Amino acid sequence: MSAYFRITLHRSAIGLPKRTNGVLMGLGLRKRNQVVFHPVEPQFAGMIMKVKELVRVEAVDRALTKAELRAERRPDPGFYVERPRAEAQSGLALAMATARASGEAVAEVEEVRL
Amino acid sequence: MFGMFRITNPLSGGLLWKIPWKLSTPQKLRQRRRLRAVDNVVATVDAALAKQGETLKALERWKEEMPTEAEMLPKDKYTMFDRKAKRYRKGIHRLPKWTRVSQRLNPPGY
Repeated sequence: MSAYFRITLHRSAIGLPKRTNGVLMGLGLRKRNQVVFHPVEPQFAGMIMKVKELVRVEAVDRALTKAELRAERRPDPGFYVERPRAEAQSGLALAMATARASGEAVAEVEEVRL
Repeated sequence: MFGMFRITNPLSGGLLWKIPWKLSTPQKLRQRRRLRAVDNVVATVDAALAKQGETLKALERWKEEMPTEAEMLPKDKYTMFDRKAKRYRKGIHRLPKWTRVSQRLNPPGY
């Protein structure tokens, strides 16, 4: 099972020793609130210990992609688009009709409805 | 009035301590939160490594030597040893970069 450290740079290292900055560069942290993922290994745990006052760490199952991190930051739009019930049902009926016409996978469409 | 010889409190001969002698209550609250945040990071890393069956010398040493926020005395949270200070203690906020460095231990007996 692979596990990852999700590391967020919470405090900047401005004015701290060069080695501290070097460790952050080694982790790939360049600016505040940046998130990086590293596998759970003693090597990365040691780097985190060096900058434990500056970062926030979580243990996660997998590393998120850049797009997923971006989606995480996206705020709630505050609305959702409501679709009329008839439209949704007609869409389903149409799918069933075409399935019957082609003589296959009616059961599949039924499953979708359930 | 202006420029190098302007009348300011330190220049008019008054004694002015720019750094307050002790931390304020909210400063102490934030200090406790920072201590707990570091404890959390250490605990998270420790748990994750233990799950993988790994150990780390630096981590073991930290756990053995450093008290957690709950174990620390208020004296050690907000002040630190100074051999030149009266009663051998000064506010921890006199430590350079004090919000971003760990300062938990003091000499025994002081």
